[in-house]
Amino acid sequence: MTDDLASLDPITVEVIRNKLDGIANEMESTLVRSSFSPIVKEGLDASASLFTMRGEALAQAIAIPIHLATLIPIVRTMLDKYPPDIMIEGDIYIMNDPYCGGTHLPDIALVMPIFHNGWPVAMAAAMTHHQDVGGMSPGSVPTNATEIYQEGIRIPPLKFRDGNVMNDTLIDMLKLNVRIPETFMGDLNAQLAACSVGGRRIAELAARYGDNYLTAVFEELLDRSETMTRHAIEAIPDGVYSYVDYLDNDGIELDKEIEIHAAVTVRGSNIHIDFAGTSPQVKGPFNCVRSGSLAAAYFALRAVTDPTIPTNGGCFRPVTLDLPEGSLLCPRDGAPVNARTSTIKRVASCILGALRRALPDRLPADNGGEMLLLAFGGQRPGGANYVVGEMIASGSGASAARDGVDMIETDCTNCMNLPVEAMEMDAPIRILRSELRRDSGGPGMHRGGLGLRREYEILDGDVVLTYRGERHRRPALGADGGGAGATARGVITRRDGTVEEIPSKCVTLLQAGDRLLIETAGGGGYGDPAGRSQAARRLDVLNRKTSAAANMTSAAANMKGNDDAV
Amino acid sequence: MTANATIGVDIGGTFTDVVCRRPGEATRIVKIPSTPDDPARAVIQAADHIAAQWGVTAAEIARFAHGTTVATNAVIERAGATIGLLATKGFRDTLEIGRQMRQNMYGLILEPETPIFLAPGAYRREVRERISASGEVIEALNEADVIAAVDALVADGIEALAVCLLFSFVNPAHEKRIKQLVNERHPQLDISLSCEVDPAFREYERTVVTAFDAYIKPTIDSYLGALEVNLREAGLATPLLIMQSRGGLAASVVARQRPVRLFLSGPAAGVIGGQMTGVADGIHDLITVDVGGTSCDIALISAAKPIIRAEGAIAGYPVRVPMVDVNAIGAGGGSIAWIDAAGGIRVGPQSAGAQPGPACYGQGGEDATVTDASLILGYLNPDYFAGGGQKLSIERARAAVAAKLAGPLGLSVEAAALGIHRVVNAQMSEGIKLVSIRQGLDPRDFCLLPLGGAGALHACALAAELAIARILVPRHPGVLSAAGLLCATVQHEISAAFNRPMTNLAVAAVSSELDGLDRRCDALMDAEGIAPAAREIQYFADVCYIGQSYHLEIPLDMASADPLGDLYRDFMAVHDRVYGHAAPTPARIVNLRSVHQEAAGAQDEPPPPPAGGEARKGGRKIIVPECSGPVDAVVYERAALAAGSIVEGPAIIEQEDTTILIAPGWRGQTTASGALLLESIQP
Repeated sequence: MTDDLASLDPITVEVIRNKLDGIANEMESTLVRSSFSPIVKEGLDASASLFTMRGEALAQAIAIPIHLATLIPIVRTMLDKYPPDIMIEGDIYIMNDPYCGGTHLPDIALVMPIFHNGWPVAMAAAMTHHQDVGGMSPGSVPTNATEIYQEGIRIPPLKFRDGNVMNDTLIDMLKLNVRIPETFMGDLNAQLAACSVGGRRIAELAARYGDNYLTAVFEELLDRSETMTRHAIEAIPDGVYSYVDYLDNDGIELDKEIEIHAAVTVRGSNIHIDFAGTSPQVKGPFNCVRSGSLAAAYFALRAVTDPTIPTNGGCFRPVTLDLPEGSLLCPRDGAPVNARTSTIKRVASCILGALRRALPDRLPADNGGEMLLLAFGGQRPGGANYVVGEMIASGSGASAARDGVDMIETDCTNCMNLPVEAMEMDAPIRILRSELRRDSGGPGMHRGGLGLRREYEILDGDVVLTYRGERHRRPALGADGGGAGATARGVITRRDGTVEEIPSKCVTLLQAGDRLLIETAGGGGYGDPAGRSQAARRLDVLNRKTSAAANMTSAAANMKGNDDAV
Repeated sequence: MTANATIGVDIGGTFTDVVCRRPGEATRIVKIPSTPDDPARAVIQAADHIAAQWGVTAAEIARFAHGTTVATNAVIERAGATIGLLATKGFRDTLEIGRQMRQNMYGLILEPETPIFLAPGAYRREVRERISASGEVIEALNEADVIAAVDALVADGIEALAVCLLFSFVNPAHEKRIKQLVNERHPQLDISLSCEVDPAFREYERTVVTAFDAYIKPTIDSYLGALEVNLREAGLATPLLIMQSRGGLAASVVARQRPVRLFLSGPAAGVIGGQMTGVADGIHDLITVDVGGTSCDIALISAAKPIIRAEGAIAGYPVRVPMVDVNAIGAGGGSIAWIDAAGGIRVGPQSAGAQPGPACYGQGGEDATVTDASLILGYLNPDYFAGGGQKLSIERARAAVAAKLAGPLGLSVEAAALGIHRVVNAQMSEGIKLVSIRQGLDPRDFCLLPLGGAGALHACALAAELAIARILVPRHPGVLSAAGLLCATVQHEISAAFNRPMTNLAVAAVSSELDGLDRRCDALMDAEGIAPAAREIQYFADVCYIGQSYHLEIPLDMASADPLGDLYRDFMAVHDRVYGHAAPTPARIVNLRSVHQEAAGAQDEPPPPPAGGEARKGGRKIIVPECSGPVDAVVYERAALAAGSIVEGPAIIEQEDTTILIAPGWRGQTTASGALLLESIQP
């Protein structure tokens, strides 16, 4: 095959598209396989992508949607600083600074231009959540940070490798600023390996098809995904759809709720999302730079459009965002951002809530949308330190089609929980129960998903508990007449019987005999509860999803509201 | 008359494949339509066919091995037993809570990810008891709770009971006591204990596999039980053997005790068939590619051993049982080609399946599929597909490709058909690449082994994409699962949680644990009637670095001078291969496993050479991507190809169970064992 652009035949285009997806997957597989940190290997918190030289995503392999498109602002920043005419074969660029297009400091991106015949034809990029990048606490996600400098080392766009020469000055500097330099470098090398795989395979494609032909195919693929996405957006009724949802607090000012406003304008084949009305930036680390809202918006778009559309930058062309300067979603340089995940989840649910007004049959009621983060740090009887952490989901929202799902990850995150046996083997903590939280799903014709009730007892020594919850104050709302899910709770019962309610976030000391009870949120219900069938009610009680008392209450509503349901 | 015939019967969705081999005779094969309403009927029909058509009486059968999909079908159709589940107080929802991850990442209306159907809330009950992580009893088993719970469940109509208590893999006393209590009170009730099914940590995974075991036990029991009786009545003197997911056979009566090991019965037999084909020709590193109707199954054989995974998935649910590592990608002969909203060509993942099937089947299918393309390109003989059992209509194939693809794209029908092949081959080759890379293996070091009805049509294109230089086509790729059953050996495996750091670990501690496992394996092998001298024993340890929560299965050589030193060194080597790095930091043995296997008998003597006759039976025009227009391909009959025959591409080799496309630039030679080895002769 040669550089004959007239022969841009549809079959070769599709063959190359399949190869690009394959290359992204191979990069991701290399990245995960050769990384060191558990957070990558087990949490899959890493992603690999290919980009055009104009900075549009060509193909990406991701395991969690929060990574969707987050490399886009980073690659744009790199292109501004290192435009193609000054790129050198062998260059690799590095950065993590949220205020230059990054996400939060643990996410470090490497970007490598891929050369063919002395000219860059595409870029390979890999981003990894590093286990530690310094700052005030191990793990670099301090829930009590009030400025970014406490969160770790900031890396502006720099050369990690200049041509074929590694930037040892930078590397020495970085290694001295992180707590576990071997793991840190191991993960960076895994990122480098992933970029190299992408580079080698794209160069092979360029050799086979010619670089002009190949870049013409890239443009064609982006245009096609744009066409298909616009087609799908046109099927959404035009209008302006708004939704408001809340975060409990920023971990610092515990009584101050944080509001998120999303106004989604669908006009023809375009979507614009305006976040005017969103709270100003907060003192604690829940601020979220632009890349986070982009990920939430692209998640929502991808979810409501045709799933067979190949995901690339073309899908994102019809979407624009307006993020008010100085707000939670566009903080000024210096504000802490490490806990942005909670914010991204709530932004996603706001956008989905707004779109539900346009597509009431296709979108569920609000998800519990809580990802409770718990960390227990203490000493074993022998004296060795331990930290065990877990992330606990909540119930999903019910929909026109069916009940919500109990205890499941939703929207932009997708983490596994920790087995009871794993925690008890690792730490002197006993789990007293771990069960579905009855009556927590929002009532409705379709019931919201249930949250979890889990109780821990400290067996030995002093333990520092970090608790980062959500939905303690505002429940997941129902839709189309359905009721709200239960709000979340966290309660500490001290050995002496004193009971302390956790205000959504806390860092506290637990001692042997102290117990922690957590209850995660339920999903919103869908449709008038009076419309729930007798059979479904009976099963709810039999299977312990609702108590007989709660069932009686809604059965009474049923008798009143639905005469023919017997 | 000596009993010297071996029979393999593999039941698939559409066909039941039967293979019969006798020393000095050519292998016989037949495909019988499957009988999904009563799978045993097809097996009995197979036995009838063997006697009536091939003159092999039941008394002459020395071995009758069977691969079955009954276990998987019971799950897919939700047709298993009503079961009850007992758990530790406070943890009865473990089955339903699961690991909280979702597979459909961009779906908005979610479906439960856990197999709640196995035991909905009303069928899950709890008992007061508690065992600590170190195995001490913190709270004694409350036997009154057990009796009350089981009585209630029996009253609710359960047919089997699953029991999974916390830390039972460390201390099984409470689970075992429950079994005693239930046996006394409800002797008819089948019980699956988690400490016996899967004694390893992580309560959700252990609960699921234990519940699956109970769920399919009554179904498997009645199916295999009836089959045993029917075959015995037909005069079969040898015990019925069943293929297990790990690739070893077990007597039906033994396999019935642990049905959860049967989920991959059929695919495992195919991989063993591939392994045996390679071994016969001295090729030990193979990628097997089974191109079926809706999917393409990929497995790796490294150093003559199939790669085994410690945990697989059935119908999307985790099933923690060792099984051959078969990876399915959604592309096959029935994959439908379509045009997307931007005018691009796409292939799959929708499939025409067996009903209506490709347009060329003439069963009402109107979509253009990969098989339709194969026919248009001249690869398939419309009168000799599936041994002539399925007539193909080239007109219907052309009409479908013209209407759905060629017309909208402004291409000729031939160009569109070639396009379908190029796209599906790109998908399959990327899939194969990913499967091997995830194992840390480079596909270029492997030989490709196609199987299934359509594997050999795609092999040259896939090998070229993957830079693979050799392809080994088994003598009967279309019935390789059934053929694999002929040469597989009886195997039993017992594992136990061990959970000890390797630092300062005494070899004696390991060997005493293995002794216990050996005794249990011995009992099973005794039950199979296999003499101790004819057994091979292998040990494995699941090892991980301390702090990791996933592990690798590493062979353990207890005869070595330093078994644990070797184990640690081998663990680091495998870790480096699979994960790209290995550090000399402390590791831990998670589980120990003993595998007792019937020693492979002497290699079967090679089948006699073909009766002769003219192998070359004509020629036809085919269209291949390597050439700009149609080219002449010689067509051969496989059965008539003598050992050592050389065939150069472009060529087609036809046989009753498959069609082989030899692309330009490839040369094939039949080997002494009857396989066909294709080698790239491109510069």
